[in-house]
Amino acid sequence: MRRITKVCSAAVAALALCVTAAACGSDSGGGGGGGEGSGATTITFWDNNGGVRTPIYQELIKRFEAANPTIKVEYVGIPIASVQQKYDTAIAGGETPDVGGVTTSYLANLTGQQALEPADAWLAGSAVNGKVLDSMLASVKQATPDGKLYMVPATSNLDVVWYQKDKLAEAGVEAPETWDEFFTAVGKLTKTPDQYGWTIRGGAGSIFQLLAEAYAYSGVTEFFDASGKSTVNDPANAELVGKIAALYKKATPEADVTNDFPKMVAQFTSGKVAMMHHNLGSYNDHVKAFGAEKIDAYPLPVGASGKRTIVANPVDGFGVFKNSEHKEAAWKFVEFLVSKENNSYWNQQTGQIPANKDAQQDAWIDERPYLKSAVEVLADPATVVVSPPYHLPQFSSITKADTEPLFQKVLLGQMKPQEFLDTMGQMLTEAQAEWKKSHSN
Amino acid sequence: MATEVIVRDRPRTAAGTPPGARKDPRKDRGRVLRLYVPLGLYLVFTLVPFYWMIVFALRPTGSTAPVPWPITFEHFDTVWNDIGYAVFFKNSVIVGVLSLFFTTGIALMGGYALARFRFRGRTVFLVVLLCTQFIPGAMMLIPLFTIFKGLGLINSLWSLVIAGTVFNLPLSIILMSGFVSSVPFQVEEAAMVDGCTRGRAFLAVVLPQLRPGLVAVGSFAFIDTWNTFLFALMFISRQDNFTIPVGLSYTIGEYSADFGALAAGGVIAAVPVVLVFAVIQRYLVHGLSAGAVKG
Repeated sequence: MRRITKVCSAAVAALALCVTAAACGSDSGGGGGGGEGSGATTITFWDNNGGVRTPIYQELIKRFEAANPTIKVEYVGIPIASVQQKYDTAIAGGETPDVGGVTTSYLANLTGQQALEPADAWLAGSAVNGKVLDSMLASVKQATPDGKLYMVPATSNLDVVWYQKDKLAEAGVEAPETWDEFFTAVGKLTKTPDQYGWTIRGGAGSIFQLLAEAYAYSGVTEFFDASGKSTVNDPANAELVGKIAALYKKATPEADVTNDFPKMVAQFTSGKVAMMHHNLGSYNDHVKAFGAEKIDAYPLPVGASGKRTIVANPVDGFGVFKNSEHKEAAWKFVEFLVSKENNSYWNQQTGQIPANKDAQQDAWIDERPYLKSAVEVLADPATVVVSPPYHLPQFSSITKADTEPLFQKVLLGQMKPQEFLDTMGQMLTEAQAEWKKSHSN
Repeated sequence: MATEVIVRDRPRTAAGTPPGARKDPRKDRGRVLRLYVPLGLYLVFTLVPFYWMIVFALRPTGSTAPVPWPITFEHFDTVWNDIGYAVFFKNSVIVGVLSLFFTTGIALMGGYALARFRFRGRTVFLVVLLCTQFIPGAMMLIPLFTIFKGLGLINSLWSLVIAGTVFNLPLSIILMSGFVSSVPFQVEEAAMVDGCTRGRAFLAVVLPQLRPGLVAVGSFAFIDTWNTFLFALMFISRQDNFTIPVGLSYTIGEYSADFGALAAGGVIAAVPVVLVFAVIQRYLVHGLSAGAVKG
């Protein structure tokens, strides 16, 4: 017995020693720049949606390092749900990366902390000058108070309705063009409890999708009118919210009231829901579940105004951080990522719209009808783009914590659609007035 | 050498059953209704999420079958090789084991001091220890980040070991102090009278009796550090130093959710914790009750 105890103690001591040595060993290096002894510069790149995209970036980094042997890129994947907190902590601690993935939805927060380097001067002298879509550049500039370009766009997105082709064919339904056709199609596709025509995002992230549907229906062209009052509570918007809420439990699963994005996609990919509103980004999930030939997508239908109206999705791109000690290498990496070939590769893998104009001409886009039509919608001069006020610091909290529970009340019949939108409209109007006041000098 | 064994019959009642003997549980319907049905229902309620996790981890993507058939290990392959769980798992083990050793060692010393010595400020010290439990980890994020940066520990697993140890220590010391108190000082004193130094007496007499306490404190420290997400993501900015909880969050992307990989990752993350509990559960119940009520 004593012998066993001794052997166990020795084993535990050996394990502790090994583990300590391993922990010490993993301490080597250190992020963010510095030479490697061979004269190479190391830059750190934070991917703001780490995980699914990791293999894509690993391939691109391999290509970049082959083309630029003096620069090494250290990839760090940050989980999307925590990326803002990670950036905030890194900024507070002065440990930011050289290059980071950034989107317009939290760009104002980063520039507010003076964390990013403006890209205007660099872009003017860069090989990709004139190659990046002007509409995306405009979106980025609109998101910051001083109108400068703090990130270089790489991709954009569009709200679409994903559908299972065979379910629509069985019901004799064509992809709807107008909202009237849409509601008729939902009715025809619903065969409860085995199949639902539609699914509502009632949980986290519900408001952005709902607003995209409302503005597409109403055809209202601006988020604020000339006096600075929010147009969110336009009666036509409220009409659409009422119509969507009326589908709840009749043509949608009951669990929709708490549906966040993963649950909504899980419902759709389980095959029980025929149509689902999301954006181009979930393409790979659907292909994995059904196969590319069985799914397709159409842009959000057109309302009574006859004008195709879309709410601009956040633009995703890359920013160089002010703290970077290797800005030249960092910009070189950004330039590489948004160049035609690499921007095309990235977007082909993720199923999104390239920011590089030349990349948009590539053959793979023509091979995907849903993507081709999305590119056409965005490029069509007749398309009205409603820009959400990403510049408002409160925009995120208003459209999430403040109003998501209210939409759930609407779905449960405890609140009227107009009352819900009036509340949201008032918050947005007040936030806009406050922002204007603080930026009037 | 043969040993004679004397077997004495139990006295029997008039009905022929030994006094105090229970009824056949299979025939005791009341007992089944009172005990087994509620326990069974509770077990089903508890195990359904685990069943869900195993089904998603083992069935192919796109399948809606309620049972994991046909079985596939593609999700395990994805998380282990593509997402990088092989590295994350190793890091989690390192951080968990080191935190376990440091927490247990320091708690043992602190707990002994609190239990055996009466010194000025002892009560205040205990209250302060208790109060630290009310401070959420997120509040300490930036101060800890700044301290670790100053010490050159950002991007090192040591930052997680130290943070894990520090956050586990207050409760561990309080628990350990209770365990030490439960060992009569007279036993230790007797050893010293027989010639042991205080250290020798502690090692020879007290320590063996603290086994349940060591197991309880160590397992809590390991499991808490194993599950830490916030510090693991914030103090580490190197792909090869992340731990399992960060790896788990990789499976939910901005526009995609890989439930198969999430479930497979969950199984991998849960296995060590389940194993730890399976091994220590008999010590744990005794250990917690002993440490909780005395002190």
